[in-house]
Amino acid sequence: MDAIALGIMWDRLISITDEIVSTLVRTSFSTIVREAYDLTAVITDADGHLLAQGSWSAPPFIGTAPLTMAHTMKKFPPHTLKPGDVLATNDPWIGTGHMFDITVMRPVFKGDRLVGYTMSITHLPDIGGTGFGATATEIYHEGLRLPLCKLLKEGEVNEFLLELIEANVRVPEQVLGDVMANVACNEVGGRQLLEFMEEQDLDDLTDLSVAIRDQSERMTRAAIAEIEDGTYWNSLQIEGIDEPITLACRIDVEGERVHIDMAGTDPAVERGINVPYCYTNAMSLYSLKCLTVPSLPNNEGATKPITVAAPEGCILNAQPPSPTGGRHIIGHFVSPLIFGALAEAAPDSVQADTGMLDLMNFVGTHKSGRGVSTIYFASGGFGALQNHDGPPTLPGPSNMAVVPAEVWESVTSTLIEKRTLLPDSGGSGAARGGLGQEVVIRNDSGHPMTVFSMANRCEFPPLGLLGGNDGPLREHLINGETVHPKARHVLAPGDRVTLKQPGGGGFGPVAERPRDKIIADVRHGFVSIEGAKRDYGVDVDG
Amino acid sequence: MSYRLGIDIGGTFTDFALFDEAKGKMCIHKQLTTSDDPSRAVLEGCTHLLKRKGVDFADVDTIAHGTTLVTNAVIERRGAITGMLVTEGFRDVLDMARETRYDLFDLRLAFPDPLVPRHLRREVAERVKFDGSIETLPEKAELLASIADLVEKGIEALAICFLHSYANPAHERLARKVAESNFPDLYVSTSADIFSNMREFERWTTTAVNAYTQPLFDSYLARLEGGLQAAGFSGRLLVMTSSGGMLAPEAARRYPVRALESGPAAGALMSAYHGRALDIPNLLSFDMGGTTAKGALVNGYQPLKQYDMEVARLHDFKRGSGLPVKVPVIDMVEIGSGGGSLAEVDERGLIRVGPRSAGADPGPACYGKGGRRAALTDANLLLGYLDAEFFLGGDMMLDCDAARAAIQKHVATPLGVTVERAAWGIHEIINEDVARAFRIHASERGFDYRGASMVAFGGSGPAHAMAVARKLKISRVIFPAGAGVMSAFGLLVSPLAFELSRSEPCVLAELDETRFAERFRVMGEEASELLLAAGVSAASIRHRRRLDMRYQGQGYEIEVALPENCAFADLPALFRKTYAQTFSTSMLDEPLEIVTWKVEAVGPEAALTDGFRLEDSAGTGPAQKGSRQAYFTNGYTDCPVYDRSLLEQGAAITGPALIEERESTCVIGPGDLVRVDEMRNLVAELGES
Repeated sequence: MDAIALGIMWDRLISITDEIVSTLVRTSFSTIVREAYDLTAVITDADGHLLAQGSWSAPPFIGTAPLTMAHTMKKFPPHTLKPGDVLATNDPWIGTGHMFDITVMRPVFKGDRLVGYTMSITHLPDIGGTGFGATATEIYHEGLRLPLCKLLKEGEVNEFLLELIEANVRVPEQVLGDVMANVACNEVGGRQLLEFMEEQDLDDLTDLSVAIRDQSERMTRAAIAEIEDGTYWNSLQIEGIDEPITLACRIDVEGERVHIDMAGTDPAVERGINVPYCYTNAMSLYSLKCLTVPSLPNNEGATKPITVAAPEGCILNAQPPSPTGGRHIIGHFVSPLIFGALAEAAPDSVQADTGMLDLMNFVGTHKSGRGVSTIYFASGGFGALQNHDGPPTLPGPSNMAVVPAEVWESVTSTLIEKRTLLPDSGGSGAARGGLGQEVVIRNDSGHPMTVFSMANRCEFPPLGLLGGNDGPLREHLINGETVHPKARHVLAPGDRVTLKQPGGGGFGPVAERPRDKIIADVRHGFVSIEGAKRDYGVDVDG
Repeated sequence: MSYRLGIDIGGTFTDFALFDEAKGKMCIHKQLTTSDDPSRAVLEGCTHLLKRKGVDFADVDTIAHGTTLVTNAVIERRGAITGMLVTEGFRDVLDMARETRYDLFDLRLAFPDPLVPRHLRREVAERVKFDGSIETLPEKAELLASIADLVEKGIEALAICFLHSYANPAHERLARKVAESNFPDLYVSTSADIFSNMREFERWTTTAVNAYTQPLFDSYLARLEGGLQAAGFSGRLLVMTSSGGMLAPEAARRYPVRALESGPAAGALMSAYHGRALDIPNLLSFDMGGTTAKGALVNGYQPLKQYDMEVARLHDFKRGSGLPVKVPVIDMVEIGSGGGSLAEVDERGLIRVGPRSAGADPGPACYGKGGRRAALTDANLLLGYLDAEFFLGGDMMLDCDAARAAIQKHVATPLGVTVERAAWGIHEIINEDVARAFRIHASERGFDYRGASMVAFGGSGPAHAMAVARKLKISRVIFPAGAGVMSAFGLLVSPLAFELSRSEPCVLAELDETRFAERFRVMGEEASELLLAAGVSAASIRHRRRLDMRYQGQGYEIEVALPENCAFADLPALFRKTYAQTFSTSMLDEPLEIVTWKVEAVGPEAALTDGFRLEDSAGTGPAQKGSRQAYFTNGYTDCPVYDRSLLEQGAAITGPALIEERESTCVIGPGDLVRVDEMRNLVAELGES
């Protein structure tokens, strides 16, 4: 197989994963999948090695598939599987770190030979328990945990399993609809994979798998070699439930390898913000990929030269029965932790802190009487990079799109009174952080509506980088009063919840910001006249 | 004597096709586009062509024209100073966009600036709820004050964009009235009129594009109409829309956003025409030019349509890096693959071709205009598909050595393969990319392309069509005569048409036959209005009805086309059938919901009823002009070269063969069979491989 043949076949595998994703999006029921793209699709070879991943996959799913496959193959050895079998789990330690994500896998048979697997993951709208939030103190509060199981056996749906899910979740028609969308998309993927193998005259994927992974590994190694060897440290304080939590890392760059160790990180807490290792690993791999080979398609080879360790029991390697429902609240900080550590080593690649994504879960009753359980995603501003202002309201490291106000209001019967940029919220610097926003949602449903705050950056702001200034803090308010940012609140009819999203951190010293950019910012109202004077020391006439 | 004239204004060339109705003859003309004022080239070209044929302007019934003027105005930011009125609390929707990254790993993201700058957007205290009920009524005085303030700031056009106006447009209409009665010179667009569908960012952006381009398009049409009249034209001038229908100038002035991309639409329409002429209902329309390739699907003789396009993409054609525009368009997939696409070694250490392009200047290395990088055209030259001495009919000499050097340096050496293998790789990667784009495009729409045929055109399409068809297992490819002016032909087969689309969600169980029919009747009448105004008789208007439907609670709808006499009771079965076609499953037992209603009013087909013959297409002499070495899968073989214009009707050739015309070369692989039909189209069948 020369470079020409490899390129053609590789592209084709990626296009199959893209096709799986498009089927998934178009058949799914919940807004989470259809509007927010909280999902992924992958293809593995017969040994469970990740070969290709949908171009639109959410970062927390980068690198979780191989671990999931390893568990799966242990419990369901390949020789016990039959065509038409479909496997599934939502176990946080086997899947993606919390029970809301369901991982669905389907072995692909060519004749009677197992040649690979397709896999999809989506965030379900509900999984029972306390609802999507950080309030649980044990995993048992967080809902239904499905051990690795056969969802379909030789094409027959396990009806009991569906009934079990139905009996345990708040919006069963949405949850079951999404589960079946996962089944459908894997079927499409499997069919495409077989067609591809026939066209290319392949009996198995072994050689192709080795070629793709080796080639990717070589490219990642070469990119790592560009980073100066050394040991880099960073530690961050972020807010926990009652007191701040310290995250720490040590990054050893040695030739063509990187080892990240989260030693020094605080222990897990009794609240649903703990991070299983699989998620820490995924976010670490994602962050390194942004710095080294951003456009290299993801597969197991691309991440092989990078190893990640975290002491058992620390909040980045929490053990059962630690609750993990809001694991992203802590887990998203792995990116800034790593970017901060490598800032001096790779100044033209790293990004100042993003304002990050705010997820608020809404559970209640629609004006029409239907159940409501869905998530509002609001983004802070994007962190600045060298010579590059952060765009406003852009999520990072995760990538959930906002649900349009018109769709949101019809799904929930709440009313969005305001969704507007916050001037002066971008951290100042040579490059400015992107602006954050303010969203005000009024409970018009006529019923009490429970909302789950899972906010970060309420005590420690998005940090500027290499001389750039910090962004502001995030805040949740109900009827104008600041409320606990990681708690469950009930909105009575007519109550308003306000979500204030921070802007991103600035990059480089303020003194280096070109004057014309400051003036343009004032003209657009991104920076106020007072802000220009205060943050940049520049007088701009109205 | 009666004539019709099709004029396609492209970025580089303006193409003309004059059809003589009586003789069924077609003559073509091509000249450089005058970008500063496209109407100039149109007038000059018309005059030139008509004079050449001795035709009087007064004998021309219809001039149908398509233009990239609107797209270019957006890309080049040459539109009007535009203001916007929005619902209180939502001034920043255009900046905040969809709050999503179009690339997960590239952190240097860039989005297009909104067409209406933030300081020209005003909030108005008004609010409609999701069900159309009213929360806050707008005050006339506030509307007037806000508009007056914007006019003071110099706006020429105003976009009025309120939340949930698709459910209740009353507030937008009131604001329009205030604007029009106080500022008669102001161009006004309201979002429910432009695109009456849910999702504010997309609807408002579409409305902004309409407002932004309205003054410019209006004055362009005025100049064009004036010029044509002065020259003696007294027929009907029509403007092509992105969805393949024609609009009278009055309607086009109101909805310039609908004319965003008419050239490619006309090409796809022409493919459908060939399908009808050759009795092939299902087709892939494949158009490949210098920088991009475009694919469209023709199902049952009709090109598929949709409501989704993006203009002004900032980031290598990446979806999400442009401005979303929701108008009915021919559903096309566009990829950054064309003759100028540059080959490079990517992050994997493998070949990637495009989306970066050498453009026309400096162009591929073989143009000899200073391009040093390897482009697709360089590879096609090295593979023997192009003749260095017969490019653009010999108007431009190609430099083989430069092509070879570029491919050697940028691809062959880094990858450790021979220069021929590298050239083959570049060619083949493009085939694979095009096939992949078609495959995903078709599967997303539940279109089974395997029984379909392909129509290939554009400068580079005919060189790749057979290989792409082979990958897709499509057995037949049609190379129409006049591949270089397909869009101008397409303008001549497009009927007057106007389409309406309304989000009006309702559960099927809560509807009945009467209300269902009534809903469509009202929309049908509304859609017909613009046609009636353009002089189409009511009796000749047909209505095509489509619904976007889904299982209740599902987020994405699928489009269900209703047959002519579809009864309300047929809907569930029709939906399930379409759903199963698209997703291979319909295991669900959920209630059904209609989300969006669509009606297209279509006037009589402006058919080229008995086909046409290209004028001057038959010369004399032997068709085979020689032979040269051309590369197919396993190496070079000696390959005969034909002059297309000299091929006799009924001639049959077995590949390998290269069939040349002025703007393109058809590459026919070993074992493939091609014959010339009565219309001088080449119809090729894939051989066994």
